[in-house]
Amino acid sequence: MEADKKLIRDLTPEIEKTSIKWYITFFIFFAFFAIGIYGLILQIDKGHIVTGMRDNVVWGFYIVNFIFFMGLSYSGALISGVLHLFHTGWRKPVIRMAELITIISLIIGPFFIFFCIGRLDRLYFLFIHPRIQSPITWDVIAICTDLFGCFIYLYLSFIEDFAILRDYTELNVPPWKKKLYKTLSLGFTGTEKQRKILSNARMIMAAMIIAIAIIVYSVLAWIFGVTLQPGWHSTIFGPYFVIAAVFSGTGLLIILMWIFRKIYHLEEYITKRHFVNVGVLLTIIAAFYGYFTFSDYLTKWYGSIKMDSILIDKLFTDYYSLFIFANYIGILLPCIIIAFPKFRTIPSITVAAVIAVTALWVNRYIIVIPTLETPFLPIQDTRPDWINYSPTWIEWSLTLAGVSVFAMLFMLVSKIAPIISISEMQEKDKIEILK
Amino acid sequence: MKKKIIYTILLLILLPVFSVYLFSQEITVISPYIQLQYFKNTDDQRILQTTLTYSKNRMELPLPGMEISFFTVGDQKELVATALTDNKGVARFELKSDTRLKAGKDGMWAFSSEFKGNDTIEAGASEITVKDVRLEMVLTQIDSIKTITVNAFIKENGTEKPVSGEVVKVYVPRMFSLLQVSELTLDDAGTASVEFPSDLPGDKDGNVTIIAKFEENQIFGNVEKRETLTWGLPTDYSVPVTHRALWTKTAPKWMIYTLSVLLAGVWGHYLFALISLIRIRIDAKKQEAKDEYRI
Repeated sequence: MEADKKLIRDLTPEIEKTSIKWYITFFIFFAFFAIGIYGLILQIDKGHIVTGMRDNVVWGFYIVNFIFFMGLSYSGALISGVLHLFHTGWRKPVIRMAELITIISLIIGPFFIFFCIGRLDRLYFLFIHPRIQSPITWDVIAICTDLFGCFIYLYLSFIEDFAILRDYTELNVPPWKKKLYKTLSLGFTGTEKQRKILSNARMIMAAMIIAIAIIVYSVLAWIFGVTLQPGWHSTIFGPYFVIAAVFSGTGLLIILMWIFRKIYHLEEYITKRHFVNVGVLLTIIAAFYGYFTFSDYLTKWYGSIKMDSILIDKLFTDYYSLFIFANYIGILLPCIIIAFPKFRTIPSITVAAVIAVTALWVNRYIIVIPTLETPFLPIQDTRPDWINYSPTWIEWSLTLAGVSVFAMLFMLVSKIAPIISISEMQEKDKIEILK
Repeated sequence: MKKKIIYTILLLILLPVFSVYLFSQEITVISPYIQLQYFKNTDDQRILQTTLTYSKNRMELPLPGMEISFFTVGDQKELVATALTDNKGVARFELKSDTRLKAGKDGMWAFSSEFKGNDTIEAGASEITVKDVRLEMVLTQIDSIKTITVNAFIKENGTEKPVSGEVVKVYVPRMFSLLQVSELTLDDAGTASVEFPSDLPGDKDGNVTIIAKFEENQIFGNVEKRETLTWGLPTDYSVPVTHRALWTKTAPKWMIYTLSVLLAGVWGHYLFALISLIRIRIDAKKQEAKDEYRI
């Protein structure tokens, strides 16, 4: 497998040597991670009393983070699957990032569920006493299935790159890395037969990944949707969650494109065109997401069921600023920034993406917490801090630890594999030459 | 050198995580709550019960495994027993018939219980005075009218005297707690009556347990009489034959079929992808063999 030397050098900036910047950045993220671990040790030692979760609000930051990370994961799968399946021309520099978002988020997300569980020692009960009727069991099956599928999909996309790195004699890496590339490339030499097998497998897995992402995130939404809690019992929750996930994932993809472009000087490969294309995708999804949000709240408000009315009142009083940010600013501002050609610069599109991702996290917060603060049967003489949720530093620290692990895993992957697919980029060059 | 610096930094980060327990020497002394109660049950067993708890984050938590000493208090304080608190922080001692109890001038027995304390928990003590009372419950049925009559007497100078003006509560145990049927106030003859409701469900034979009790009474403590008889409505609690539903142990068939088909479809495709990987490996090996042959 031969490849353009420049292409390899440009797309594997951290494989041969590690810069001091890399160590410093990794150290900072690791420090956040260590603080989170300290918080977790305290939580395991002293129990959930150290968190803001109490009798009424039994789900807090952790479940918000779980939904958020799982959403990022499914959106990564959807985006990469769709771009691959439809052979979108500009997909090549971004598709690897979308795939990595999928896997890394999928690894981090479930840990937040573990933090929620009071009796972690009973976790295996989920596997030895499953009840097929329970949405929790559906979710366990779905996440395991999705994780396995995403690993296969990611690996399929890496094989050609591993073969290129294996055959690139000028690559100055330790022997264990060479051996790793040799093993993981499965002896791929790029014969017509091998390419055909690989291409078929990737196409099928891309289609499967799209279907699984939709089903799995719908299952997660149904954990809320099938309960009779005010605000959650909604038929629209499945598709609403899927759209919201793609919204956040697209936003994150733009942010990562900006970061990698900046850090690794990939201006030649990730161009304004890519930002604009993904930005337009973000705007279209924002429009759908806004429509779903409006539809969900309108029907609840118009129905005037007592508990729904109390909940909506609460959203427009106690949670007013969060509600406005999540459902107005977070949707409209990215649309405005990207819709007008004048604003379509790389920094402004990135800012729009940051707003979108933050707003989506807040949206998850106002879906989970206010509902739990609105119980059907109020408990008499309950202390206010048992009803109203406010996160403690431990929940903040574990949230930051999750974000840090996301960044650290991305950094570690960049030490082993190209952050933009070399084989895909080569393919692009060949097509352009043919044209 | 660079590696050494990195390892040192990592060590410095991890150190605070584990050092919190190594260097922690802070000891907080607990101020416990101690409560002594007197119980006399339907078989005339007399029990002294001490509950030892403490408050943490505005929650009452038990102190298990603590030694409680029980005393009778008369002219002299006399140790009668010691007992350890259980997981709920409760220590019990039964006053046997051979336990010598000296009543005071007012006819009251005085008891106390003490916890000596230790390095982390402060000492505590509680006292109680009670007068022995004989509680009677008479259950009569004339035609369909079922009546509960309670009588209470105390002994003074060797003769029984009726207890008047005190409250006796009547309960029927239900699944989770006691259902109060009535609250009676004893008259001058030490008697009170109430009609038992005719629509209270019992077991399949109509059995219900009726309890009459002095509850946290300032003079008599906790004294009860209970009796089981067929005054309830016979009720069949048997669970209907289980069928497949969301709430039964076995899921509806359509759910199992849907999930099985979905999983088989998905994992079937995974299998195809894995087989493709094996085929690539096999083809690569063939290619390697060909290349070696050419050489």
